[in-house]
Amino acid sequence: MTARAWLARLTRRERGRLGLAVVCGLAAGALTLAQLSLLAWLVAALLVEGRPLADLAPAFAGLAALIMVRALAQWGQETAGLAASLRLRRRARAELLDHLARLGPVGLTGHHSASLANRLVDQVEALDGYVARFLPQRNLALALPLLVVVVVAWLDWLAALFLLLSAPLIPLFMALVGMGAQRLNQQQFDAVARLSRHFIDRVRGIATLQLFGRTADATREVQAVADDYRRRSLRTLRLAFLSSAVLEFFAAVAIAVVAIYVGFGLLGYITFGPADELTLFSGLLVLLFAPEFFQPLRSLAQHYHDRAAALGAAEGMVALLDETPRRPVGAVAAPDAAGVLAELEAVTVVHPERGRVLGPLDLVLARGEILALSGPSGAGKSTLLQLLAGFVAPESGKRRLARDASFAWMDQRPLLIHGSLADNLRLAAPEADAAALHRALSAVGLGELIATLPAGLETRLGERGAGLSGGQAQRLALARIFLSRAELVLLDEPTASMDAASEAAVLEALGALAAEGRTLVIASHQSAPLAIADRHLRLRDGLLAEVDHG
Amino acid sequence: MAERVGPLATLAPWLSLMGRRRGRLLGGAALMALAIAAALGLLALSGWFITATGLAGIALAAGGALTLDVYVPGGGIRAFALTRTVARYLERLYNHDTVLRLLADLRGRMFAILAGLDAATLAHRRASDWLNRLTTDIDTLDSLFLRLLAPAGVALVAILGLGTFLALWFPAVGLAVVGLLGGAWLWLTLGQARLGLAASRRRVAELERLRGVAVEGLQGLAELEAYGTLATQRRRLTAIEARLQADQRRLGLAAALGSALAGLAVGLAWLATFWLGALAWQAGALSGPVMVMMPLAVLALNEAVAALPLAFTQAGATLAAAQRLNALRDARRAASSAAPARLPEGPLAVDLAGISLRYPGALAPVFEDFSLHLAAGERLGLHGASGAGKSSLAALLTGQLVPDAGAVRLADTSLARLTPDSLTARVACLTQLTELFDDSLAANLRLADPDADEARLWSVLATVELADWAEGLSRELETRVGEGGRRLSGGQARRLALARLLLRDPGLVILDEPFAGLDPALAERIAGRLDRWLAGRSVLYLVHGREGETSPPGVSRWQALATPSRRELGVPARNLSG
Repeated sequence: MTARAWLARLTRRERGRLGLAVVCGLAAGALTLAQLSLLAWLVAALLVEGRPLADLAPAFAGLAALIMVRALAQWGQETAGLAASLRLRRRARAELLDHLARLGPVGLTGHHSASLANRLVDQVEALDGYVARFLPQRNLALALPLLVVVVVAWLDWLAALFLLLSAPLIPLFMALVGMGAQRLNQQQFDAVARLSRHFIDRVRGIATLQLFGRTADATREVQAVADDYRRRSLRTLRLAFLSSAVLEFFAAVAIAVVAIYVGFGLLGYITFGPADELTLFSGLLVLLFAPEFFQPLRSLAQHYHDRAAALGAAEGMVALLDETPRRPVGAVAAPDAAGVLAELEAVTVVHPERGRVLGPLDLVLARGEILALSGPSGAGKSTLLQLLAGFVAPESGKRRLARDASFAWMDQRPLLIHGSLADNLRLAAPEADAAALHRALSAVGLGELIATLPAGLETRLGERGAGLSGGQAQRLALARIFLSRAELVLLDEPTASMDAASEAAVLEALGALAAEGRTLVIASHQSAPLAIADRHLRLRDGLLAEVDHG
Repeated sequence: MAERVGPLATLAPWLSLMGRRRGRLLGGAALMALAIAAALGLLALSGWFITATGLAGIALAAGGALTLDVYVPGGGIRAFALTRTVARYLERLYNHDTVLRLLADLRGRMFAILAGLDAATLAHRRASDWLNRLTTDIDTLDSLFLRLLAPAGVALVAILGLGTFLALWFPAVGLAVVGLLGGAWLWLTLGQARLGLAASRRRVAELERLRGVAVEGLQGLAELEAYGTLATQRRRLTAIEARLQADQRRLGLAAALGSALAGLAVGLAWLATFWLGALAWQAGALSGPVMVMMPLAVLALNEAVAALPLAFTQAGATLAAAQRLNALRDARRAASSAAPARLPEGPLAVDLAGISLRYPGALAPVFEDFSLHLAAGERLGLHGASGAGKSSLAALLTGQLVPDAGAVRLADTSLARLTPDSLTARVACLTQLTELFDDSLAANLRLADPDADEARLWSVLATVELADWAEGLSRELETRVGEGGRRLSGGQARRLALARLLLRDPGLVILDEPFAGLDPALAERIAGRLDRWLAGRSVLYLVHGREGETSPPGVSRWQALATPSRRELGVPARNLSG
């Protein structure tokens, strides 16, 4: 799917609203022409026919009405475009979110969450100008100049010819403006990105700069880099602005040429063509229409960068939408034997770039057992957990899971949302009451800490769990498992980078979980978690070997 | 946002920064005004010309004589047409140049402000999205001139200028134009800004929240899926999006209203001009061509006011950006008031007495009534679990954190009396987190000593066993290390940071997990060489304390950092070390 095709598919569903925007825009354009016609007629009626002003009052009132209706039409164009843009952005975001959920945790491992969030938020927002303004204006830029030329041709075909002579140039303008805008956008975007990277690089290391007493130098450097960027980007801008200057130039020259042609025609200096038929009314009208011929194009040129921005953003999003999920589809069979919770039979897992990362291996997981997985990093511990969880599909072999077996998951970076402790716990069990939350916290040894907090369960955590130590965050995630009814508990390095006291607390809690009759699978390269296991399997290059407990 | 500050007071520091480029800003605005004046003149003169020629043509046809000079107005029309194009082009180029200069100023000023922040402020705002927002805030501010101030100023000048010009012909017309369009100008700028203020202020925060919740959901996808609460998370996200879109709709509707009103005001103004002009013409006070010229000139003003409503409806975003940047400026470290003291040469003694420290938002303090003594030249090893306060202690000694209570003294001098420069010259710290810059190896090393020659750089690289590796690189010392040193392995980055430290000559050395991520044999060898450099300096080792780690050389005393029972109460997960 190309970015253009995706955008086209999205905009097709907003056809109604965008159509309304175009209709309102056309009405506004036509009303402008009507106003100008009435103005020219009034001038002729006053100056040429010498009609008294009092007789013409109704026409003035009509003009006022036209001005008001035109304002209404303009308002309609903008609000219809706005509505279309808001709906389209909501839909694009929903589509991305659905796809991300389909890709699942394994599908997202190749992406940085911040860059994904950037796509979900900023790149979707980048579609706004394109939908709300550029798309309606693109239609108007075709229709309105045509309307102007037809009216002018009826008044004076030679003047219309002047305008039409520039008409073949219009696609050229558009190409020029488009190329200019695109080049501007790309180069500017790259340069700005470089500039921001430099700035962010220095800001990230600001503590180090402070330690070395080099902040003043770095400040000068930041300024110098920004100034260098200015010099380089001005070189591009000089060219890029030229394209819109050409459009401006033709608009200005057309008015000048028409004014002089009409003026001399009215004096009778031009003896060929339709010039001798010109009247003050038709002459004035031709002059007033000339700028209106170019106005829609000038507006379009202003919105051209919206198009470039939208296409750029769409490319990023389409690249994401094109990724295919690697997770199992369809129903999962149940194991044959009773007392077996999950079963893997001759399964292999293949990574698109790294080849086979796991298997072929067999594994039978009995209800209530604690299974430890060890092995060097990269041996496939996490992949095996992901396979059990159903985040990744086996390339070959069978995965069987007891019916209604729900699972819980915990890894090194537990999910902590910006909210209260209670909000964080209720992620696992939305309807759990306060007593249940307290029980779960006590089970992981956090009960005493919570009791000392004035706001208790309503204590708010900062962004990404700020305010909690690593061990506490881990135990909070464990408390969630206690709250859940999950039978199968999958733990990926549950005690990594934890001090001895925290580790002991976590292991004690894990023991309590097992005592509730839950089945635990713990992947870890540390020795302590392995000690509480009933069974210990070692992974090496994606293959399993049983380790005797001594 | 403790107190409400007026918009002018909020923008004042940035306006004064812009004031330094007053000449350029005025020049750019003048070019803008020239382009609009030319557009106005083009339409007005053309209308006058056609009416004059039309009337002259009628007179000629009736057998009269031609009294009209056609060449001067013809030339004027051509001149206006050319001026409009050239002025517009130059204006865009010149003003973009100005804005880019402003951007450089803003970045520099912002960086200087950030460089003055203390570690506590920096630490809890470490996240990269916060930095990104900072750059966005600067971009928002740099359009303050181009989108808000200049167009509004130029539009006002155009309205007043045209009003005055028209008043020369017929005062009532001038008054009507200034009255109608002046009032409209007030609404389109101040009124629209007020209309969109709350929503456009909120919008940035809402986008931020949406981003935050999206990141949470993506990072915790495995857990959410396991608990079957993806839908709950999605509902949170949709609720925030709905709030965002409600504000965007409000802003869009306000901007649409403004655009329609701008069109309406200009329309009614030229209609009133036309009516009053016709009355004056009927009374014989105006000629026919002038009567036509006047409304056309007003009509051309559309170009000056059309863009105002959209820009001003969003003005709240600019204010909010300025406010955030101001808040940052106010968080700057207070300069010490006492007379600056100097640290002596040689090893420094360290004294911490009755220190209390708590991070904002943390559940429990890091230190409570904490004391520590290190004699000059002593090598003290401190061990403690992660989060026990090792990095906080380093930050206290380097002046990046100021304790809530208690005193930090180096060589019997209170830290409060030292200037940052005199402190950094005598205290060197290897932080737990390796921070390298997206620059060359040499530049990263020279951070410690800008004047170090190549031979010294090679010698410190040899100490950490990176010299052979660097010699094998095609660009040797000029090799770039990538963003945050990403092109180096973790161990290489750590060793480079250590080598950087060796270029300095401090009296107190703080080594926070110096050998983290290095293989034990290599760490032992480096530790041996480090011993010589450490001679004659006070040394504070901060280590995790787990078995199996390389022990730093020559430690004369070991001390545990904290009692486990109190530590249990909790310390922030992410302090200095990120």
